[in-house]
Amino acid sequence: MSFDEAFDVIVIGAGHAGCEAAAAAARLGVQTALVTLNLDLIGQMSCNPAIGGIAKGHLVREIDALGGIMGRIIDRTGIQFRLLNRSRGPAVQSPRAQADRALYRTEMRRTLEVIPNLHLRQGLVVDLIVKDSRIYGVELQDTRRLRAKAVVVATGTFLNGLIHIGRRTHSAGRAGEPASIELAESLKRLGFPVGRLKTGTPPRLDGRTIDWNVFEPQPADERPVHFSFATDKIEQPQITCFIGYTTGAVHNAIRANIHESPLYSGKIKGIGPRYCPSIEDKVIKFADKNRHQLFLEPEGHNTNEVYLNGFSTSLPPELQQELVRMIPGLERANIIRPGYAIEYDYVDPRELTPYLETVHIKDLFHAGQINGTTGYEEAGCQGLIAGINAALSVQGRERLRLNREESYIGVLIDDLIRQGVDEPYRIFTSRAEFRLALRHDNADARLSPYGQKIGLVNDSDWERFNQRRDKLVRLRSILESTRLRKSDAAYLSVSHALAQDLGDSITLIQLANRPNARPDLIKQLLPAEIQTETNMADLESVLADSLYSGYINAQRATFDRLHNHDSLRIPFNFSFREISGLSHEMIERLERVCPKTFGQARSIPGLTPAALSTLLVHLTLQQRTA
Amino acid sequence: MSAILSSFAVSTIKDTIVALSTPPGRSGIGVVRLSGTRALEISQLLVRDEVFALEPNHATLKKLYDPATGKVLDHALLTYFKSPHSFTGEDVVEFSCHGSPVLLRYLIDIILSFDSRLAGPGEFTLRALRNGRLNLSQAEAIRDLINAQTKAAAQQATRQLGGELSALLQPIKDGLLNTIVPLESSLEFVEDDLPEVSIKEISATLFSLINRIEEIASTFQTGRLLREGLKATLVGRPNVGKSSVFNKLIASDRAIITDIPGTTRDSLSEMLTIEGVAILLTDTAGLRVSADVIENLGVERTKRAIADADLIILVIDGSQPLMPEDIDIFKDISSGPHLIAVNKNDLEGFRLDALALKENKYNEARAIVSISAKSGAGFDDLRSAIMKPFNVWDASDNGLFITNARHFDLLQRTQLALRSSADLLEARASEELVLVGLYDALRFLGEITGETTTDDILSQIFATFCIGK
Repeated sequence: MSFDEAFDVIVIGAGHAGCEAAAAAARLGVQTALVTLNLDLIGQMSCNPAIGGIAKGHLVREIDALGGIMGRIIDRTGIQFRLLNRSRGPAVQSPRAQADRALYRTEMRRTLEVIPNLHLRQGLVVDLIVKDSRIYGVELQDTRRLRAKAVVVATGTFLNGLIHIGRRTHSAGRAGEPASIELAESLKRLGFPVGRLKTGTPPRLDGRTIDWNVFEPQPADERPVHFSFATDKIEQPQITCFIGYTTGAVHNAIRANIHESPLYSGKIKGIGPRYCPSIEDKVIKFADKNRHQLFLEPEGHNTNEVYLNGFSTSLPPELQQELVRMIPGLERANIIRPGYAIEYDYVDPRELTPYLETVHIKDLFHAGQINGTTGYEEAGCQGLIAGINAALSVQGRERLRLNREESYIGVLIDDLIRQGVDEPYRIFTSRAEFRLALRHDNADARLSPYGQKIGLVNDSDWERFNQRRDKLVRLRSILESTRLRKSDAAYLSVSHALAQDLGDSITLIQLANRPNARPDLIKQLLPAEIQTETNMADLESVLADSLYSGYINAQRATFDRLHNHDSLRIPFNFSFREISGLSHEMIERLERVCPKTFGQARSIPGLTPAALSTLLVHLTLQQRTA
Repeated sequence: MSAILSSFAVSTIKDTIVALSTPPGRSGIGVVRLSGTRALEISQLLVRDEVFALEPNHATLKKLYDPATGKVLDHALLTYFKSPHSFTGEDVVEFSCHGSPVLLRYLIDIILSFDSRLAGPGEFTLRALRNGRLNLSQAEAIRDLINAQTKAAAQQATRQLGGELSALLQPIKDGLLNTIVPLESSLEFVEDDLPEVSIKEISATLFSLINRIEEIASTFQTGRLLREGLKATLVGRPNVGKSSVFNKLIASDRAIITDIPGTTRDSLSEMLTIEGVAILLTDTAGLRVSADVIENLGVERTKRAIADADLIILVIDGSQPLMPEDIDIFKDISSGPHLIAVNKNDLEGFRLDALALKENKYNEARAIVSISAKSGAGFDDLRSAIMKPFNVWDASDNGLFITNARHFDLLQRTQLALRSSADLLEARASEELVLVGLYDALRFLGEITGETTTDDILSQIFATFCIGK
């Protein structure tokens, strides 16, 4: 085989998965090529110009804790930071930031360009070069052949992408860009089971034609909560977004024209995400709702473009324009880009290992929407894991795998590879059994040690991690040892403010667990010299640990009971074929992975509960007779 | 899993197992069951057919040959169940032979010589469980059904096997889901325009669920009796006619008296059934509560007999005035479930003096029954008085009871988890904490009725609310 260029790792696609994958692989020290259709659209936000949100914000902080780049880039380009669920418990609070779309792209490209070992290449990949179940490289449309020891496919919505607007369809990967058709065929030829999903996007409006006074302003947080543990301060000026509503008249007009929607005319076969429905779906499925909420989100400092969040549609453009103008405040609004729906191929993620490598082809990795997920954050974290493991594999090192007990990334990957998807998969906090333990503010404690071990967290970041960890330990011991006494000047006012009897004296940590004892109150009670050197975020982290510790311990105990067979060893050279009652498919899955413990077997995707209990019975018996 | 392992015999996996599936002893028919990969092959060796084709799920009459002599052993009906469509999920052949214990034992010996092994207790069920043919609750029901000593217990097991318990708990699961969905939605979709969560409504739902669970769990008291039988103990001073009462109760139930395994015929316990419920009746003859004998037999023994029993029947001689001993014994038993049988109502001078024993706790007249062990008068009343506290047939839910201690335990835990959530809700704790108990509760119920997954909850959310910023 002859090649034009040779790399260690090739990443196909420079979206949110591809960028993380390429950055991680290159920073781990392997020669990495990032191949994309259009170098000017690296890190493009195809849909909503925002990062984070409930559970998604957790993912970004986990990416950051492991040494990924998404958190740093949104911190530098975010123009509206808001911490969601601020009034609720710390485990379900999550940062969200709206990005300046163009700035985000620029910053992403700048970040990638300064990473040594990372090579940007423009081109359309048409084929994967595979021999004897091993990847050898990729072929481009312009006939160049690129050699690679490992390949990460991160093609987003481009595989066989088909855009629907009204009754018209055209092949595209995203508005204005060609679809990737040959590569989709190549994957099918390699035997990957392929399905079809759908997503959509709303129209973008000209901000100069919006009557802003009609809408309810939604300002940024005064104290922005950033994503990266390395960020000290948010520098971008913060903007205000606006909230508005559809009306019954808009709904009636949509219903009257529903036959124009490819969603309802039967043209769209792919399944869309239920949590991001089109306005057509909202109106039809929730007919009794007389208004639907809309968000007007300016797309950046240097543009008039406004994202009409909540109005995703694939109705014909002229109808979109008509409907938009029926919305109070948008009577004069012009659409700059119409909304559309897009159908695309995804590959069944049950074909993947927990390292995101395909089961059948060695050193071929899939990350992002190709695995049936939706969202930049979901894509980014998969890209990171795939990129890390591609590099580790090239280097012959032990690969990285995250558990669902320790991270949302682990939850997401585990869900994907075990259950597959039947609609675009989005992360939710309720997907995590241990959501109380998986907080956005403790992502560093959970994951940075892994990042450091593999070499993705550099020395200065590791130093900062250690400092923060030590600081939190110190702060905790101060909170445990500092008492508020009846004789203290503050005692009466605190007791009064909380409307509670605090006894003769109470430690600050006990006080913090009383209802309504907000962290800022606790901060005021710290010794003066500690108060000045303690930032609010650190204090909140320590208090959250204390708030949840009882619950987390109880949950861990339950978990251990449920999984007390996990350490059961599977002997070397154990023959799964000898177990009667295991189907061929189950035996094949077991033999492919060769688990060393029952816990490892339990995490093999696609293994049925019946097969697992059969295996368990068998192992237990062996242990008893041994 | 460990519960499954301990409740069934364990064995190696791939071999073929055989056992007599009908009770030992002479009978019209004896069924030998063979399960495993070699079931069909072994059958063929016995039948000696060159062309041997058993049609699945059909009974076929075949001659069985003794391989040692080549002579016909028996004419048997062979039924073949092809894997995976059999009870165990493996190939199963059942031989319905003539019910001679000698013949059956010999047949099993022959089968054992063909590379198979005797099944351990419950091993067929274990295989069914392992091959996904049964769930745990159904397996438990089968075990109970086989062990059922009375019609009532068998009925309960059959109903559980049919999924009635799951059906009973389903509304609770639904109610639980209806509290989880709004709480979870308000956390996950904070930017969506969702209706305000009503803490008051959720709290009310939680308390109604807690009450309902309590109601269902409370049937365990009776359910356990249905499954395990009721221990009733006769006490009383000597010569009041305890043994006559004992004999009369037994004799009138003669047709269904059975031995209690492990006890000899001369023991003082006998089994009888009343209204389909097994009653283990114990006569404490020899137990005298008089000053000098107490030293020998001890107050302890009386107390133990009383503590062990589900019901104490105090027998009093109504033809004599109430004695101090009667009163002493009454004092010992009056704290537990008991009733008073005033005997000898056929004699002159009979008086229901026992009414004097009526104290605050025991003021229902029907718990004092006037009988005659000699004439048999009043025994119908006595029998219904024995059953009365257990309310077997007029419970709610059409008489479905919690009969399984594991289920009872899970219901108790469900209730505790819900209570902790209700408390947190009351204290206005954040939703993610309230939800901990609700998910625990759902998991406990799931261990009885089958799992509810996150996806089920998300589906419910999307069906209920218009989500999508």
